[in-house]
Amino acid sequence: MACKTVWQVFQRRLASVAAASRPSSAELMAFRSALFSKERARQQSLYPRTEKIEVGMEGPGLQGTLLIMNRGVSTPHSCARHLTEWHVNSAALALVDGEPWPLHKPLTQSCSLRLLTFRDSDPLLLNQAYWRSGAALLGQVLQNAFEDKFDVELLSVPEVPVTVGAFCCDLVLDPQLESWTPSEEDLRSLTRDAHQLIHKDLPWEPLEVAPAVALEIFSHSRCKQVEVEEKAAQSPRGTVTLYRCGDHVALSGGPHVARTGLCLQYEVTAVHSLGKGQWGLHRRAQGLSLPSQLQAHHTVWRKLRKRAEKMVEVPPTSVSQPVAPPSETNSVSPAPADR
Amino acid sequence: MRLSLRTLISHGRVGRHMGLGPESRINMLRNILTGLVRHERIETVRARADEVRFYAEKLIDYAKKGDTDEKAMKMANFWLTEKDLIPKLFKVLVPRFQNQQGGYTYMARVPNRENLDRAAMAVLEYKGNPFPPLYPVKRENELTLINQLLKGYREDLAQQNTA
Repeated sequence: MACKTVWQVFQRRLASVAAASRPSSAELMAFRSALFSKERARQQSLYPRTEKIEVGMEGPGLQGTLLIMNRGVSTPHSCARHLTEWHVNSAALALVDGEPWPLHKPLTQSCSLRLLTFRDSDPLLLNQAYWRSGAALLGQVLQNAFEDKFDVELLSVPEVPVTVGAFCCDLVLDPQLESWTPSEEDLRSLTRDAHQLIHKDLPWEPLEVAPAVALEIFSHSRCKQVEVEEKAAQSPRGTVTLYRCGDHVALSGGPHVARTGLCLQYEVTAVHSLGKGQWGLHRRAQGLSLPSQLQAHHTVWRKLRKRAEKMVEVPPTSVSQPVAPPSETNSVSPAPADR
Repeated sequence: MRLSLRTLISHGRVGRHMGLGPESRINMLRNILTGLVRHERIETVRARADEVRFYAEKLIDYAKKGDTDEKAMKMANFWLTEKDLIPKLFKVLVPRFQNQQGGYTYMARVPNRENLDRAAMAVLEYKGNPFPPLYPVKRENELTLINQLLKGYREDLAQQNTA
């Protein structure tokens, strides 16, 4: 009896010490956001004097349009603001000299600019970027959804093609939540959180940083640091791109769309368990979204949503296993080894 | 002495007045029809296009009897003022419409003429002409996000049905 109470006191003392060392999620987000702002201010201060660059616009009806913009300050978004309101509202991504460029990233030299919309003749790049943004939004919603005493670690966002039917975000929850499975109400409340973020119309601010800065930003999370190192090794220039939406800073494998307000229909469809992994019980959260220019009728939306509840199989990209062909993910596969 | 008003008011009368009289009307329509057979797409005043339509289709129906037919040749000879179009009518237009019963023409209304008269204009054409279509068919882009999702959905369903 006595040793039981002693043990309980010991546990409580240890738990309180552990909680004090780990900062709360709000503090963590504020810390990361402050470092992000500092790095962005530092990168802006690299252009102390206003220098002009020439941006040639490409697109239907815009041939020959030449805009004189400021180096290191003007973004493709500001170029669109020189055109019309329709260009501002419909542009989701930009192609600078053929390279995908987030809409809020400053231009650094004279170039040719093309604004991409969802109704172009070739929106494949934009579809992939939208899928990535949807997954990032899902990650942000999940990060803020749980109480402070539960630890949420977001893992990397797997790159899935759009035809699979849902975007997914891998994450690891607190060991106390090992037996938790989300109910309908939980998914609906996550969807409501996502809609609140969409309604605020927050822009996704991109920032290209050196790996050292990224490691400092994610200093509280070991798996994020591993991911930073992986991404830095894969990128051609050795830098890592961070995206900030509101207060939440996240890594990404490619460009995101301009802002959250572009999504119209958004639903968190399912959270599946993948089994024990490197960091604990890996879970896969899936969602489905469509932009405001491509609104689906509710019958069509219901069918697509039902399909998005099924588990999405992503081919494993680790070095040890043989690289599976990237085309077939959600195809006819007999019972996977994970489950 | 009160003259009947029936001759002066033309409410509900079919049959347009064109040109200087009935003969002038026929001559005018003959010229327009010749132009239509030569160019296969012409732009005229809406009323004239509407009138010519009937005669254009009747001409094809007569020509379908074949160029050995007496009546068909007389009709073609009368209606086509430029005689090099008579072989075109029998050898090009008739085989094109061999399998159709009627409806050999399209009439599309276009914006009013720019002149002072602001006449209502129309474009009249024989179907199967080599020009781009008057009403272009707008096909939805297969590569938009929603169409890609639906494509994946359809493939899924197909796999489930075969499995």
